[in-house]
Amino acid sequence: MRSQYWSRYICAVLLLLLGAAAPCSAAGLSATFERTLGAGTAPSLVKEYGGEYILPIQERLRVEEVFARLAAQSERQDVQYTLTVLNSREANAFSLPGGFIFITRGLLNLIGSDEAQLAAVLGHEIAHVEKKHGVNAIFRQLGLSVLAEVGAFALDFLSGDLLRAAGLALTQILQAGWGREAEFEADALGQEIAARAGFDPVGAISLLEKLIQAENSEESMHIFRTHPASGERKKRLEENLAEYWPEPDLVKDFSALERLKQGRISDPGGRTDPRARYVLEGVGHPGVKLVDQQNGEQVVWAENAFVKEAAWSPDGTYLALLVDAESLGELWLFDRWGRVFRKISGLGEINGFCWSPQGDMLALEVPGSGGLRIVAAYLYAEAFVDVSGGRQAEEAVWLEEGLYFRSGADWYRTEPPQAVPVRVAEPVPVVLQRKRILTPTLVKEGNTFRLTRPELTVP
Amino acid sequence: MKQFGGAFAILLAVVFCAAGTVHAFVFTDPAGLYSTQIADSWVYQAHHSTEHLVVFYGDEDSALLYFERLGTVSYLSAWEFAHRSLELYRSPGGLEKFEMVRDLAEVEVGGEAGVSCAYTYQDGQGNQLWEYRVFLVLPGGEGFSIAFSDSRPEAADDPRQLEEILLHWRWLL
Repeated sequence: MRSQYWSRYICAVLLLLLGAAAPCSAAGLSATFERTLGAGTAPSLVKEYGGEYILPIQERLRVEEVFARLAAQSERQDVQYTLTVLNSREANAFSLPGGFIFITRGLLNLIGSDEAQLAAVLGHEIAHVEKKHGVNAIFRQLGLSVLAEVGAFALDFLSGDLLRAAGLALTQILQAGWGREAEFEADALGQEIAARAGFDPVGAISLLEKLIQAENSEESMHIFRTHPASGERKKRLEENLAEYWPEPDLVKDFSALERLKQGRISDPGGRTDPRARYVLEGVGHPGVKLVDQQNGEQVVWAENAFVKEAAWSPDGTYLALLVDAESLGELWLFDRWGRVFRKISGLGEINGFCWSPQGDMLALEVPGSGGLRIVAAYLYAEAFVDVSGGRQAEEAVWLEEGLYFRSGADWYRTEPPQAVPVRVAEPVPVVLQRKRILTPTLVKEGNTFRLTRPELTVP
Repeated sequence: MKQFGGAFAILLAVVFCAAGTVHAFVFTDPAGLYSTQIADSWVYQAHHSTEHLVVFYGDEDSALLYFERLGTVSYLSAWEFAHRSLELYRSPGGLEKFEMVRDLAEVEVGGEAGVSCAYTYQDGQGNQLWEYRVFLVLPGGEGFSIAFSDSRPEAADDPRQLEEILLHWRWLL
C-alpha cells in the first residue's frame, strides 16, 4: 500500500518535471540522487555492522591500493567510490548507490593476502554501482521500473520524505539482495574490472570456492544469503575466464623453443626435485619410487596406481603424477609429505601435462571433440580453460615466454592473463616488536626428563 | 731483528685496541645493497627476517634492530617519506600512545642523506617502547629504513649502539 502511494506521488511529480527537464543534466542529477540515497543509508549500515574498523597501517595501504586500482577502471565518471571496512566478524561485502562500498573485517580475514580475491569481491561491489543495481531495485520496489532513469532525475528535486522512503526500500532490498540476474551481471563485470586493473580474474572463482568451504564450516557466513546458487555462479565465472586468455598466435620466432631443444633450459620435464631432497627413481606400478635423501630411505607414493609420468612443480611444492585410474589418465598432485593435495579428473583421459614456470597452473593434453586439445588447469581453483582456441593441439611446452603448443605442423603461443602485483607508491616502514614463541622447558626429574607446559618466551 | 720489533709493536697495538672495543662482525645484506659492522651481542633472526627485512635481537629482552627495503617509492625526499610515515603512525590504526621524543633531523648514512627521529609508543601487551628511526630515499628512488627499538628510553635518547652501526655503514651499489 505504502509503495503504491509513493508510486503515484512520484509519477505526479515526474509529469510536472518532465516538461522542464533538460536532458543533458539527467545523468548528473541521477548521480546526485544516488549519492544522497547512499549517504543517507550508509550510517545505519555501518552501525548495524559494528561501526567502522580501522585496519592496521600496512594492511590499510594494501587494501586502499587494490581499491584505487579497481575504482580507476570505473566507466562512471559521475561516481566517487569510497571503501569502508566494517567491524564485523561476519564475512560479507555490500555496495550502496553513489559508490559506497563496504567490506567486513571477517571477509578480509578470510581473504588474507590474496590480492586477486580481494579485487574480485571489491570489483563485484563496484560493478553493482556501475550497473545501478541498487537504484534500479529501488525503483522496481516502488513500482517505477520503466521510469527508473527519469525518476532518478526527478527525485533530486523531491523532499526528504521521499528520500527516506527510498532509503527504507533500499534497506529492505539490501536484506534480500539486488536480484539473481544483477548478481550474475556483477560477477561478470566485477571479474572484468579486476582483470582490467591487473588482477588475476581467477580470483573470483577461488574466492567463491573459499566462501563455499567457509560456509560449510562456519555459521557466520552470510554472503550467500542474498546471492544465487554458487554452483551456477562458478560455472559462469569459469566460462568468462577463457575471455581473458588471448587468442593463440602463430609462432614465427622459434628462439625460445630452440633454446629448449638445445638443452639451455635445464630439466623442463621436472624430474629433479628443485629442493634436492627426493631423487625420483622410477615410475610405473606400484606408484612412483623416490629416495628421501634426508634419511636415505626409499618411499613409494600412489602405491596402488600405475604412474605413467611424474614432474615436480618448478618451486618443488608439488609432485604431479599422471596415473592410470579406471583406465582414464588422471593427474594426482602430491605435497612434499606424500599427501594427495588434489586430483584432477573429469576432463577425459589426460595424455600429458607440463607445469607453468610459476607453478600455479598446469597445461593438460586432453581429448576434445575433434582430437586433442590443451587445457590450462589452475592449481588453487577448480577452473579449466581450453587455450587451444578450437584447434587440435598437443605437445604443450610452458616457458617464461608463454605456453606453446603444436597444432598440425604449426606451433602456437598463448599466455595467461598477466597480474600486476600491488605496489604501494607511498609505503611506510613496518614497526616491529620482538616475537615471543611458545616453548616448553625440559626439566630433569631423577632419571627422567619432563617437558613443562609451554610458555611464551623471547627467542 | 728490527723487522721483528716493528711487527711486535703492531701486534701489541692490535691486542690493546681489541681489548678496548666491543667484538663485532661485518654484516652484508644478502641482496648486496649494504654492509655494516654489528656488535656480537646482536643475533640475526632468520624466522623474523624476509627478503626485504633484516632483523636482529639484542641481549636485552626487547632490544631490536631492523633494516627494511621498501622498493621504489614515490617520495621525492627522505623528509617527505618521514613526514608521511609519522603521520600514519600517529593516525587511527597506527601506533598506540604515539609520541615524538626527538624531532626530525638530517642524518648521513654511508654518504646518503637521510632523516632521523625518535618516538615512543605502546605495544599490544601494553609495554612502552622507544624507537629511533632513520628514513632514506636512495638514488634510484628506493625507500629504506633503519630502526632501533628497546623498552628503555636510551634507545631514543642516546642510541650509541645504532650510531656505531651507522658509522660503519657502506652502500654496496
